[in-house]
Amino acid sequence: MKKNKILLIVTTGILAVTSCRKEDWLNPVSVDQVEADFAFTTPDRIHAQVLGLYSALKAGNFYGGRYIVYNEVRADNYINLTTNAVTAYLVWNHTTSNNAQEVTGLWSSAYQTINRCNLFIDGMANGGNEVVGAEQAAYYVAEAKLVRAISYYSLLQLYARPYWDGNGSMPGLPLRLTGNLYAGDYDLARSSVGEVYQQILADLNDAEAALPTNYSSAYDNTTRGHRNTAIAFKTRVYLSMREYDNVISEANKIVSTSAPFTATSGVNHALQDDIVNVFSNYTTTESILSSPMNAGTDVVGGQTALGSYFYSVREYYLNENGIIADPNWRLTDRRRALVDTATLAGTPRSLMAKYPTPSPYVDYVPIIRYAEVLLSLGEAIARSSNSVDPRAVALLNYVRQRSDATTTFTVANFATPQALFDAFLHERNIELLGEGLRSPDLMRLGLDLPAKGTVSSVSANAQSYIWPISQTELLYNNLMEDN
Amino acid sequence: MKEKLLSLLLLCVVLAGSAHAQTRKISGKVTSAEDGSPLTGVSVIVVGTSAGTQTDAAGNYTITASEGAQQLEFRLVGFQSTRIGLGQSALINVSLEVDASTLDEVIVTGYGTTTRRDLIGSVSSIKTDLLTNRPVQSFDQALAGKAAGVQISIPNGVLNNPPVFRIRGTNSISLSSYPLIVIDGVPTFTGDVSGSNAGGNALASLNPNDIETMDILKDAAATAIYGSRAANGVVVITTKKGAAGKAIVSYDGWFGVNQVQRLPKLLDAFQYTEIKNEGLVNAGTFSDNLQYRLTIGPDGQPINTNWYDYAYRDGLSHSHSLSIRGGSESTSYYFSANVTDQQGIILTNDYKRLGALFNVDHKISKIFSVGGKLQYTKQDNLATISSGSLSGQAFGTAGLGRIAMINAPNVAPFTNDGEYNLTGNNLGVMDNLVSQIGFYNPVVLIERNRSFNYLNGIQANGYFQAQPFSWLTFKSLYGIDYLYSTNDIFNNPIHGDGFAGGGSATNNYTARMRWVWTNTLNANYTFNNAHTVTALIGTEQQRSTDRRFGAGRTGLSDPEFDDFSASYQNFSTTGSYGENYLVSFFGSLAYDFKKKYFVSGSIRQDEYSAFGPNNKAGVFYSVGASYEIAQENFWENAGLDRVFSSFKLRGSYGTVGNQNGIGDLASRTFYEGGLFGGQPTLYPNSSGNEDIGWETSKKLDLGINFGILRDRFTFEMAYYKNDIDGLIYNVPQAPSAGLPSNPQLNIGSMYNRGVELTVNAQAVNKPDFSWSPSFNITYNENEITSLAPGITQFTSSTSSLETVSISRVGSPLGMIYVARTAGVDPATGRRIFINAEGEQVYYDHSLPVAQRWQYADGSVAPGIGSVDQIAYANPQPKFFGGFINSFRYKSFDLALNFTYQLGYYVYFGTGASIMDQRFWNNSTDMLRRWTAPGQDTDVPRVVAGDNVSNGSATPLDIHVYKGDFLKLRDVTFGYALPLAVLQKINISRTRIYVSAQNAFIFTGYPGTDPEASSNGGSNSSQGVERNSVGNGRTFTVGLNLTF
Repeated sequence: MKKNKILLIVTTGILAVTSCRKEDWLNPVSVDQVEADFAFTTPDRIHAQVLGLYSALKAGNFYGGRYIVYNEVRADNYINLTTNAVTAYLVWNHTTSNNAQEVTGLWSSAYQTINRCNLFIDGMANGGNEVVGAEQAAYYVAEAKLVRAISYYSLLQLYARPYWDGNGSMPGLPLRLTGNLYAGDYDLARSSVGEVYQQILADLNDAEAALPTNYSSAYDNTTRGHRNTAIAFKTRVYLSMREYDNVISEANKIVSTSAPFTATSGVNHALQDDIVNVFSNYTTTESILSSPMNAGTDVVGGQTALGSYFYSVREYYLNENGIIADPNWRLTDRRRALVDTATLAGTPRSLMAKYPTPSPYVDYVPIIRYAEVLLSLGEAIARSSNSVDPRAVALLNYVRQRSDATTTFTVANFATPQALFDAFLHERNIELLGEGLRSPDLMRLGLDLPAKGTVSSVSANAQSYIWPISQTELLYNNLMEDN
Repeated sequence: MKEKLLSLLLLCVVLAGSAHAQTRKISGKVTSAEDGSPLTGVSVIVVGTSAGTQTDAAGNYTITASEGAQQLEFRLVGFQSTRIGLGQSALINVSLEVDASTLDEVIVTGYGTTTRRDLIGSVSSIKTDLLTNRPVQSFDQALAGKAAGVQISIPNGVLNNPPVFRIRGTNSISLSSYPLIVIDGVPTFTGDVSGSNAGGNALASLNPNDIETMDILKDAAATAIYGSRAANGVVVITTKKGAAGKAIVSYDGWFGVNQVQRLPKLLDAFQYTEIKNEGLVNAGTFSDNLQYRLTIGPDGQPINTNWYDYAYRDGLSHSHSLSIRGGSESTSYYFSANVTDQQGIILTNDYKRLGALFNVDHKISKIFSVGGKLQYTKQDNLATISSGSLSGQAFGTAGLGRIAMINAPNVAPFTNDGEYNLTGNNLGVMDNLVSQIGFYNPVVLIERNRSFNYLNGIQANGYFQAQPFSWLTFKSLYGIDYLYSTNDIFNNPIHGDGFAGGGSATNNYTARMRWVWTNTLNANYTFNNAHTVTALIGTEQQRSTDRRFGAGRTGLSDPEFDDFSASYQNFSTTGSYGENYLVSFFGSLAYDFKKKYFVSGSIRQDEYSAFGPNNKAGVFYSVGASYEIAQENFWENAGLDRVFSSFKLRGSYGTVGNQNGIGDLASRTFYEGGLFGGQPTLYPNSSGNEDIGWETSKKLDLGINFGILRDRFTFEMAYYKNDIDGLIYNVPQAPSAGLPSNPQLNIGSMYNRGVELTVNAQAVNKPDFSWSPSFNITYNENEITSLAPGITQFTSSTSSLETVSISRVGSPLGMIYVARTAGVDPATGRRIFINAEGEQVYYDHSLPVAQRWQYADGSVAPGIGSVDQIAYANPQPKFFGGFINSFRYKSFDLALNFTYQLGYYVYFGTGASIMDQRFWNNSTDMLRRWTAPGQDTDVPRVVAGDNVSNGSATPLDIHVYKGDFLKLRDVTFGYALPLAVLQKINISRTRIYVSAQNAFIFTGYPGTDPEASSNGGSNSSQGVERNSVGNGRTFTVGLNLTF
């Protein structure tokens, strides 16, 4: 019976212990994530959030690769090899529907970026400023506004009619300027194209005023926004709006009056002697803003990276009837060194080789480059004055001769202003090939998206000239309207 | 040899127990009254004592009884228990009557047992012989058609993929709809725990042959004691335990061959070349430099490859289980070991298991007993290439199901020089003058890749039990379930997914660890011979942790090697940690008066770590009652007792919850760290909800059970309705709001209601011949009644690419969502689509892009897209069930088990893949293509590059079919060798059998398998089959031996 008594005591003991419970286990805390309430509590966290804005921009669906890819393959310079619906075939074929993953993916990715900027701007106003001090806070908020402006501008290029159509009166985007973190009612109608452009310019003007003139390293000068970044981006925005006088006034802030054309204040942007260097030494002063890629930590993957589309995996080769067919793009032009050849299915083909590194794809993705600013300025001068302006020709010539010393443009080469306009478009096509500007260039001028291979041209008034709106946006934003 | 083996195994077991008082020995033989055959394993108990033994293989027993003992009781499942008074004789031979009645069948419910007679709730007990000796990997795969209300679909032919397991419909939208599985008191892990291209069902750790009982709890009365985890039903399993008596050794083994069936018929090289060239001509792009051409192979003949030969095989499998059970009066044990090695129908898809289970129970004294269990299982889930069949894989470039269909038949896997036939990272074009002719060359991947998953599982428990009075039991059980999953994945640098990275290797490791501590006090007291009260109170704590890490490496330095440990250029790592904790208090009370009136109630409070701070504890309850009319005097007076041996009305109502799938930290809002150019970043990554809690399922169950002719026929009918409130729904916010994630809110509501009917019969029961059919059918109706304010529908995609499922308020979950068509225009061969306005729109891929879509009058029309898709058909079966037959003629036995599902539709997305007009090979349906004006056909004109007309770009109604099927799921024919022969060699039972699984499918569905689903157990995207591998057909021969 003694044994039984001991066991009875054990029984009672178990009953007593079992009623205990661990409160810590019932209310676990994360071991690897920061609670939202504590995201703005230290300078390091706030700095990390600033970089988080750029990393949103660098997402695979956005400036990590696909935004560039889509704007390249919509235009005429590529032939699709794989007919793979997940590698922009539908975009190339102009058959994207509302629920195409390109359409829904980029829309979400861009608005995630915008929301991160909005949350950051709100969070800085609600205590973050005090943590880092007013001066640093102003820099950071200006960076957020720059990233927000780039995101809205990029969305407009695919989901809205160009500015010239109705002078900005066509449906633009839902304009969201405050941060969202919890479930709520997010119905919001589209603002007009013009209203969105006004917000973009307001953000860029704020950014220009508040951004630092430069950073201490070439790496930061290329991967983060500084004053000249905001100015440079404004030249792109105004060019899209055909506000050529504003392009000129902005560009003149960072372009000297005569050759050699360079930025004389802030980061000293200038063309490099050899364009090939710009795509291997990623942080020269020519690269105004780029998305960095760092092997082993943060690269984008296959089916996203530019290198996988155009060079390593070879989803697209260069259209033999596209810009590479131009006889005046001399074979000795250094820019031809950024075009490679390969034998595909027994046929020699050309590949766009600005991003040649195989996986992991460590080639930086350019967002804006100084050569574009020079060409935008030149074109704006010519169009604004409707003349064969000598400075415009000089800018054109400057870009050409950097890569092809054997060609010299003079005023006499252009019989009409239109010939000069065309030369600028042509030069941009050569110089900026592979950098995602061809389709926006055609569209801002109201030109058809040309035919290529088996794909017919798309006229400027066709439905497929721009993308449809994301299906998920139409479903869950009751005030949203389709294109 | 046998003796040696036995003695070795028996060494493991300590036999104890001795008798003190004055005793005498009684022996005898137990036989079946039906045919006189000896009965093995009959429990022989001295009534009023704990002394007991079992009959041996020849039906003989010897038992020691005290002088005062009055009676012996003989018990065996399936026979009527018999008590025999003890006279002077030391020899007592007994013959037992077959018992048709199931009322005394023991049912294992939550934290206790009951009998079918006392049962108020709705519980289906599965006869374990329906689960054993089947060529399956896990027991749940064998459950289809075995119980009313239980729907099992095996979504693909990859070994060890978890079946879709639903009890009374799909009861959640965002959380799991998988039932809670409790094995020996410990809720176990479920789902696919493999990270490789092979399936890894967590439940496969348990050898089906080790299952003693399986009870499926369905209504609130049965499940509410499991509280917040019971909404999908509960499956309570106990493993085999020992029993007093001489050790019984059993061996069960089988060999089998597994074959692919019903593959779509495809074009051969000649047809392919002709049709693809016709497409180029129709597109206007055929030229000297752009055309398909045959290639002469090394044998001088044109190459004509059947890619199925490089994807499928006849898989050979075998399985062996050995068990020993026995014990003394105080200690009993069960030990088993099993090994199985199975080959799937997909090349290189193998499953191997090595497991052992040891159960021991010991009575320390009259009051106290202890016991425990230890089970270890090692499983290998092996594959190389993705089959394209597991959830999320449908459109993978490497999906073998698809590339075996669409790679061109006019090229070979090897060049004529014997090299891999490759063009870039695709299958080589050989003499074709086109840029692409296929996706990957599967031969390279199968030879050089590896996608292996290894699972190591330990399930163990120990208990301590005290029974101070015969009516009161206290039990404390502590159990663990540890599951370690390791993946070893290699993609070669030559070809396939490893090509871009120059070869890649991934190793990752997941440790799932759970402990459960349950303490219960059970009372069962009868007074005045009329009132029986059963009461239970208990507490339970359960804690689970989940720790993972992994690393990936790319850029293999030396292609000679293929291991993770070789030298690579780059690496990346992952890691995660999760934990949850459940604290519960529960109780139940049941009362019956003279087994006539029964009432019961149960209650449970669950506090769960994942619930939000505003909703930490949930309380769940049930009430139930039943009425056995056959016990009433008027029943007998009316003479009804001559027909109805029992007639029971029962009903229950209660609330239970579902929390399986709520993120451990779903209530919190987080910023997460990342890297940008190698520097740390921080960004919002999850939108939490502090109110998050369980989903509430209010279950109503009304039933009638009756037996006629001494229960020779039994009927069970039930009406059920599950009203589910607070369904967690990741309420989609407008993407432009830019939220880091869609927050989970308890917001939706839905119901499932239906009727179940089960009929069991002893249709024929003659000494030489018997036939016991069992038929069950379930009708289920599902409807979403609300989602979230302003949200009336949501779509679900297949593998993130094709949106072909829509769930709408007022409709069933996951309707098939397609655009409509109206045939092929006989004049032009164009597919006719119907847009959202109901207008006919024609598509011609050969025209310039802007003009491809036209109205009948030739004017340009907007293209058909998602706005033109409609909720077209219901993929949830209206009716499902099974028809189980077991026949016995003398020593022969035959089982014919059918399962069926009726009244539902399947989107045969594969049909779109094999009609696509890119380079993809096509179904032989393409031979019916439109070629001349006036031709009446259902296949449009072929135009190279056309991915629209046949449903690749937008899913179309032409690929939606009725899924109705009747499958002969298993047929087994066995023969038991005569006893006289066996006894000479000391074997009590030998049975040999042949068996076939999935022997026949009767269906109008054109795909491989109407059960196939590309979305696994997903709630809202069932009935979608895209590029997956269907279930094979398996033939086995087997042997059962009992010593």
